Amino acid sequence: MTVVAPAPPRETSLDWVKRNLFRNWWSGLITVILLPLSLYLGYRALRFFFVTGQWDAVRVNLTLFMQGTFPRDEQWRLISQIVIFALAFGIGLGTNSAASHDRADDAGLEIENGSIAGTLARMWSLVAFIALLLFFATTDDVGDFINPFLVVGGAIVAAAIGYQARRLPRRFRNVGWVLTMTFLVIGFQVVSGFDAGGWVPLSIVYGSVAFGAVPVERFDSTWVRLLLRLVALAVVVFAIRAIYAAVDSPGIGWDVWSGLHLTLMVSAIAIVLAFPLGLLLALARRSTLPALRVMATVYIEVIRGVPLITLLFMGQFILGFLLPAGTVLSAVSRAIAVMTLFSAAYMAEIVRGGLQALPRGQTEAGQAMGMAPPTIMRRIILPQALTAVIPAMVGQFIALFKDSSLLSIIAILEFLGVRKIIHAQADFRSIGFAETLVFVAIGYWAFAFAMSRESQRLERRLRVTR
Amino acid sequence: MTTETQEPQRRELARPPFYRDVRVIRIVGQALAVLVVIGIVYWLVNNLLSNMDRLGISTSFDFLFGPTNTAIPYHGSFDPRSPVWQMVLIGVKNTFLAAFFGIILATIMGVVVGVSRLSENWLVARLATFYVELFRNIPPLVIIIFFGAAVFTAGPFPIFSESWEFNFPATDNNLLIVNNDRWGIPGFTQTSNLLLFYVVIAIGVIGAIWVWRRRTKNFERTGQPHHRVVWSLGVLLLALIVAYFAAGQPLEISWPVISGNRRRIDGGFIINWGWMSVTIALGLYTASHLGEIIRGSILAVHRGQSEAGNALALSAFQRYRFVILPQATRIALPPTINQYLNLVKNTSLGTAVGFAEITALTKTSVGNGRPAFQSFIIVMGVYLVFSLTISLVLNVVNRRLELETR
Repeated sequence: MTVVAPAPPRETSLDWVKRNLFRNWWSGLITVILLPLSLYLGYRALRFFFVTGQWDAVRVNLTLFMQGTFPRDEQWRLISQIVIFALAFGIGLGTNSAASHDRADDAGLEIENGSIAGTLARMWSLVAFIALLLFFATTDDVGDFINPFLVVGGAIVAAAIGYQARRLPRRFRNVGWVLTMTFLVIGFQVVSGFDAGGWVPLSIVYGSVAFGAVPVERFDSTWVRLLLRLVALAVVVFAIRAIYAAVDSPGIGWDVWSGLHLTLMVSAIAIVLAFPLGLLLALARRSTLPALRVMATVYIEVIRGVPLITLLFMGQFILGFLLPAGTVLSAVSRAIAVMTLFSAAYMAEIVRGGLQALPRGQTEAGQAMGMAPPTIMRRIILPQALTAVIPAMVGQFIALFKDSSLLSIIAILEFLGVRKIIHAQADFRSIGFAETLVFVAIGYWAFAFAMSRESQRLERRLRVTR
Repeated sequence: MTTETQEPQRRELARPPFYRDVRVIRIVGQALAVLVVIGIVYWLVNNLLSNMDRLGISTSFDFLFGPTNTAIPYHGSFDPRSPVWQMVLIGVKNTFLAAFFGIILATIMGVVVGVSRLSENWLVARLATFYVELFRNIPPLVIIIFFGAAVFTAGPFPIFSESWEFNFPATDNNLLIVNNDRWGIPGFTQTSNLLLFYVVIAIGVIGAIWVWRRRTKNFERTGQPHHRVVWSLGVLLLALIVAYFAAGQPLEISWPVISGNRRRIDGGFIINWGWMSVTIALGLYTASHLGEIIRGSILAVHRGQSEAGNALALSAFQRYRFVILPQATRIALPPTINQYLNLVKNTSLGTAVGFAEITALTKTSVGNGRPAFQSFIIVMGVYLVFSLTISLVLNVVNRRLELETR
């Protein structure tokens, strides 16, 4: 005879309330106090958003918030940038997805396909922010000459096209990555211009590709191999230089960027420039050479010991003095330099954490194979350490993104600083202070929240794969 | 036999050429690095000196002894003719005050939020999550400006001339005066004999520590309840009373009063809105980070610990107080130090709401023609001292708390 345990009684909503809100007397007391309080505060917040808030200051100045004082008749550059970046992100996402499928196939695992709905749900804060922008844009009485819906639609189409990169056959996987980098650079230079030193980033990308991709295996001599690689590098670099010299179309330098555009760009530029510096600093701090170690430690600790705003003031007041007489740097350039030097110190600590977390056995295994120390570092230690600290780096990027609001204190018109122009307008001299501030807060919040969600997800996935 | 077979192995290993000798490479590498760094620093300093010389800017710190020539907001007693170093001291004091109260607020809120996030009460846990996700994803500067502009100067509080006054029950003395510009609470005024007063209090503090140790030792020896908090506080209170009367009542409570023209608050202790915005905003912002740290550390305490406490029939409170929190503290301390340091550094954002802390004052003073380089070197030095002191103190605590492992 089999005894069947009685099925647990279905939990009614009353049971749920009892279990989660009135489990015992103090829990009930807290609920009784907090529930009306939070309902009232929620009511006040909703009332502010929908009834009492005077959102005209935001609505009328939406373009100002987005692009600030960026020349209006050059707006096509920003729109192209959005579309090209969307394309680059699409290619990157597609390639990444395909790459993880490759790895799963190798390991004989099944992984489920991420869905677009899932991605949008994870990014709900950004989606909501864009929806808010579109809502304000439809009621904008200034009248932009390009429909914002077209821009968002174009970006979506571009991302969808780029995502098809995951259909590329496996041996072209690296092509996907190179294309991503290329479009990121081009998207940046659509605004900043294809002139002067613009050839450098693409030269780095394609130069390193050429350096690694030259078929040198048939030559035995190390020197000949190196020579061949250098020749390939030089050819590519000169070719790119020639192309840039031929195009030579100036754009809008970052000195006149502002608004949300500047905020995003400054944090991205600073983090990209800070990465190599931080890596070098971390290696120096971990080095067995005392001189290197001491210098790196002093730099890192001093930078981390003082607030960013004092460094920014130093940048505004002193940086000009530290360079030879006659060098003129714009306020934005100085701020970017300072933020790069600042985040390099934090980046160094993050990378150091990754290096320290790696078991010593990894180094010793490399030594047992007779590898030279630089080879061990390049082939064994860094790939693992850097992968492990990606979430922390995203965290640092979020911190830098939030810190970029300090630029408003040194009179740079980024997302928060734009408020100054808005409240200097006759219409909004004394109204809408809270509204513009809440709007700015929502903007920062949407980006930071989406990124922190993404970094938590990355962290979980990295932990699983190890 | 054996010597013969070992003979070939004993031969000298060929020395590698000097450019592949690790010892040579190490020394040369370090020398090169030092030379490069020194070269860069020399180049920068040389540029700085020549540029300053060209523009006729002094490189000395003499300006510290010149007159300030500016008033400090909310510091009516500050004489604009007094030297710059006094202004620097006021800035340091204000930075310290904002950081100190901010840390207290952040710690209390952080513990509440961190514990609430793990609450069994659905509403409490949800509200705590909302709080954390809201505050930690907004730049602290935005929060500070929000409190400064939208709460204190233009917010729900009455404008100056019609302040709210809250009386001490059954008297005419104001316990609290609230308006959008500054708040007044009762303070102390000093009369005389202060030295004696402080000496007696210092003796009291030493006495309290001694009693604390005695009670702890007694507890360890006999197992009797130590009640060391009550005992020490009692000793301290006793010392305070003795000191107060021994020194002939040197302190008087001064109650805040709105001045005749209703433009000032006379007496009492004045909290200006800049200070309040910085403290509250940074307290709330840092609490969102601390909450996550505390939640993480509570979760990191092994489940078995809580179950063991349960098996010993400890109540939920006792389990938290005596089993989980002491272990969680140990895990939470290092990241908490980091958050405290961040809070101290973030007080520099008071510049945005006109709070007279060291960065804001220095910015004004540089704007008035004081040499920027020296001024900001001083500011950075001050923050470095703050940062290093906090790390030092909490590192000592950390070492005391560390698990003793064999």
